[in-house]
Amino acid sequence: METVKDNSFFYRRLHSLLGIIPLGLFILEHFFTNSFAIHGATVFNDKIDFFASLPYLIVIELLFIFIPLLVHGIYGLYIVYTGQANQLQYGYFRNWMYLIQRVTGVILLFYIGWHVWTTRLSALFYGKEVSFDMMHKMLASPVVFWWMVVGVVCVSFHFANGLWSFSIVWGITIGPKAQKRMGYITMGLFVILAVVGVKALLAF
Amino acid sequence: MSDKRIIVVGGGLAGLMTTIRICEEGLAVDLVSFVPVKRSHSVCAQGGINAALDMQGKGDSPWEHFDDTVYGGDFLANQGPAKRMCEKAPEIVHMLDRMGLMFNRTPEGQLDVRAFGGAKQKRTAFAGATTGQQMIYALDEQVRRFEAAGQVKKWIGYDFQELIVDDTKTVRGVVVMNMNTMKLETVPASAVVVATGGPGYIYGKSTNSFINTGSVATACYLQGAKYANGEFIQIHPTAIPGSDKDRLMSESARGEGGRMWTYKDGKPWYFLEEIFPAYGNLVPRDIATRTIYDICINQGLGLDGENKVYLDLSFKDPDELDRKLGGIMEIYEKFVGDDPRKVPMKVFPSVHYSMGGMWVDAETDMTNINGLYAAGEVNYQYHGANRLGANSLLSCIYDGFVTGPNAVKFANEVKPASDFDVLAEKSLGQSEKLFEQIYAMDGDENARKLHQEMAKWMTERMTVVRHNDKLEELEKKLVELRERWNHIGIADHSKVLNQEAIYVKDLQRMMDLARVLTVSALHRNESRGAHYKPEFPDRDDENYLKTTIATVSEDGPKITYEEVDTSLIKPRARNYAVDKHATEGEDK
Amino acid sequence: MAEKTVRLKIKRQLNAESSPFWEEFEIPHGPSMNVISCLVAIQEHPVTRSGKKTTAVAWECSCLEEVCGACTMIINGMVRQACSALVDNIDQPIVLEPMTKFPVVRDLVVDRQRMFDNLKKVQAWVPVDGSFDMGPGPKLEESERAVHYELSKCMTCGCCLEVCPQFEKGNDFMGAQIISQVRLFNFHPTGAALKEDRLHSVMGKGGVAECGNAQNCVEACPKEIPLTTSIAEVGRQVTLQVMKDWFRK
Repeated sequence: METVKDNSFFYRRLHSLLGIIPLGLFILEHFFTNSFAIHGATVFNDKIDFFASLPYLIVIELLFIFIPLLVHGIYGLYIVYTGQANQLQYGYFRNWMYLIQRVTGVILLFYIGWHVWTTRLSALFYGKEVSFDMMHKMLASPVVFWWMVVGVVCVSFHFANGLWSFSIVWGITIGPKAQKRMGYITMGLFVILAVVGVKALLAF
Repeated sequence: MSDKRIIVVGGGLAGLMTTIRICEEGLAVDLVSFVPVKRSHSVCAQGGINAALDMQGKGDSPWEHFDDTVYGGDFLANQGPAKRMCEKAPEIVHMLDRMGLMFNRTPEGQLDVRAFGGAKQKRTAFAGATTGQQMIYALDEQVRRFEAAGQVKKWIGYDFQELIVDDTKTVRGVVVMNMNTMKLETVPASAVVVATGGPGYIYGKSTNSFINTGSVATACYLQGAKYANGEFIQIHPTAIPGSDKDRLMSESARGEGGRMWTYKDGKPWYFLEEIFPAYGNLVPRDIATRTIYDICINQGLGLDGENKVYLDLSFKDPDELDRKLGGIMEIYEKFVGDDPRKVPMKVFPSVHYSMGGMWVDAETDMTNINGLYAAGEVNYQYHGANRLGANSLLSCIYDGFVTGPNAVKFANEVKPASDFDVLAEKSLGQSEKLFEQIYAMDGDENARKLHQEMAKWMTERMTVVRHNDKLEELEKKLVELRERWNHIGIADHSKVLNQEAIYVKDLQRMMDLARVLTVSALHRNESRGAHYKPEFPDRDDENYLKTTIATVSEDGPKITYEEVDTSLIKPRARNYAVDKHATEGEDK
Repeated sequence: MAEKTVRLKIKRQLNAESSPFWEEFEIPHGPSMNVISCLVAIQEHPVTRSGKKTTAVAWECSCLEEVCGACTMIINGMVRQACSALVDNIDQPIVLEPMTKFPVVRDLVVDRQRMFDNLKKVQAWVPVDGSFDMGPGPKLEESERAVHYELSKCMTCGCCLEVCPQFEKGNDFMGAQIISQVRLFNFHPTGAALKEDRLHSVMGKGGVAECGNAQNCVEACPKEIPLTTSIAEVGRQVTLQVMKDWFRK
């Protein structure tokens, strides 16, 4: 009986799964929570306080956000390294999506690193308060604003298109029609997420 | 597993089936193939494989199949082997089916069958219009199983050079060349099977691949193996001419209802249906080809004044066409540019198959060299003067069943060669000398041009219609060309995959074989199956119900004859205008 | 008017180790020419466009009707079969290059043995007991048969691998060709006996998980085999196999 001797399959599938659960779910939650900013500082700060008051917060963050992020990011970088772009020669639509998925992935590695540092770790280490006001001050700089727009758009795309791949990898969408349909759905999701995300940024 | 090894040269259907049978009998195989076996010429077979499975309850039987085969072959086939083949056919189709070949199915999920030329019964099992490809893949997969288990060693990219034969006329191994390094090697064996297909490339453009040079068969012939019925070259009626080769439009197109026509007096003329009311578009290939030839060449009724007629499927349901004939629909579309679902295809006859080939014993498939076997198109068995469509795939597989076990039996009984190293060195030396000669060639003849000249002469004089005076001229021409071969100049002196050197070697052999075919045709003064001489328009059973045997000699092929086994069906007149049984009792 | 000609630019390489170089050729144009007949014309007259004597270009071919896969090469930047590349349908100069994902032997000839070796790894066969007479094979529904016949048309040409951004000379990825064959043999009633083995093979290094879903394979396949469907289908089978391995063993 043939047995599996190598762990690459496990890591690949883990990478794929982590991208959706928990990271994808977290993105949905995160974008939703940020959208409270539309209702002003008080409402937004209430929500932040609610999350800050969660029991076992550090454990939850570590287990469901930081570690998955690290694993997904580092292994993702390895995946990028295993590929070889050939879009100029074979400019098919899906081939471009393949490339964009990887490019956004790499951008996000930097973006999320920066984002986690500025809005979470610095709070943790230096006791800076994360609040509406802090975000407002940060985003006053056009460079930061546009950098965060890039981050939001990238993460929206990377998640939505990742969901499309996920549904093939795990064998949910099999035929070309199903995959195409999923393509429309996930691109719709991308647009919605990007709009929601950017609107939240504008609200600060 | 025994430590005896058998060499199989050629990885097409016959070679692979032989390999499987040898492995099943417990011996190991060295499988030598010029190309990766999945790329063998068998992939070009389209229409299907005949077997009297009687899937439609119309009373078909192996005997009917056998009778059609013998009648279609104009009684030149040895009846014993032909009958055994037809009897084995249903088993063979079931075996392939079990191996996973994706045969088309009926609504119930049973094997579907279709009509083919020269038969009133539908008995051709098929996988779309790529049956040969599907068959070779099924066998390739089984051989890969044995390869994974260590029982088969594949020598891919190795080119056969010559046999190693001892002075008891027993084969002891072969000389092969690793084409990537141009290095010659000897491989010992307890028996050797040659399964290298037909010689269509002699004619330049044919439905065959460039790899079908007949070079291996010629090498064996030059070393004393007899070559039988060389004059019987099948010209397929429906091919599309191309700049590199002619592409086959399967007979299954007619089997599925395709009609052939041209314009006569401004109106469509369904000539086969009119001339041959009993069989219509499903007359055997020699008949269809001669009719088309006559219509285009003699009557000048080809389309647009060219040598082409219509093969029409445009009135059929396009979905059904895709399901049953998808492969050829694609080929026509890709290479001609028109959609055969919408417009009739333009076709013309082209050289297709060699009924003749290496002489083999009717019981064992062994040639007249001890321990040397020939399987598939490369031997002369089963088809007589004309092969019925969808019988070639059958004969390839059946040959595997005959050759495999017999080669094993021989290998187990033969005494090992005492002086293999001496023999091997001698053979190796001969092969090396030939290549040294080729590498040193600096004359002004161009090998390709010589080939084209030979092809032109052969196509003009050794295809549909043959005249003795023209055959004599042809033989002289071939002798001349063979002499001019010595004055070829070669440009490529590389020791890495030197295709020019290999081609020049093969060209020499093609020339030798062309002469065998021509001389065989010259000697047969009658018309039978694919061999038609207007000077002798009738079949002459009294003088020529015989197998032609060509043997190598210093002054060219020496022709003798051998009786044909007609023990089961008495020869009768062959007339496809009426039912095949209508001529029973008529002596011919 | 000057005689119509065909111009070719060919990437050549004398042997596996040497570095590639380019040569240009100009040959007379003829009716219904394909890339094969151009290469034959060069064999006939191995002289470059500038009049320099050279050697004929080495290339592989067999059936010449796009069922054997031998003559696969890169033509004007796209991987395809030379036989079905009709001169009148493509731009000139016609640029010919060997496939890039396999080691070059000489000129346009590459060694694709890796594809055949991978077929061995996934046991791409139906494990029949033998060739002897055991009656008819399993019944198949025609519609199912038709789907799997398409998979069975794979001629191991390597187009899907050449265009795949995840398939490289140095790595282990098996690629769409193999994954599709796994689907084919797992479908067959008798072939399914080895289904678990096959799935475990594609769960190993170089297996199905390494697909990046660029889906170039399905675009490039000359036989229009639904390769991406096969990848997803095998993905599903593997998912179920993982569950089976975790919860039932």
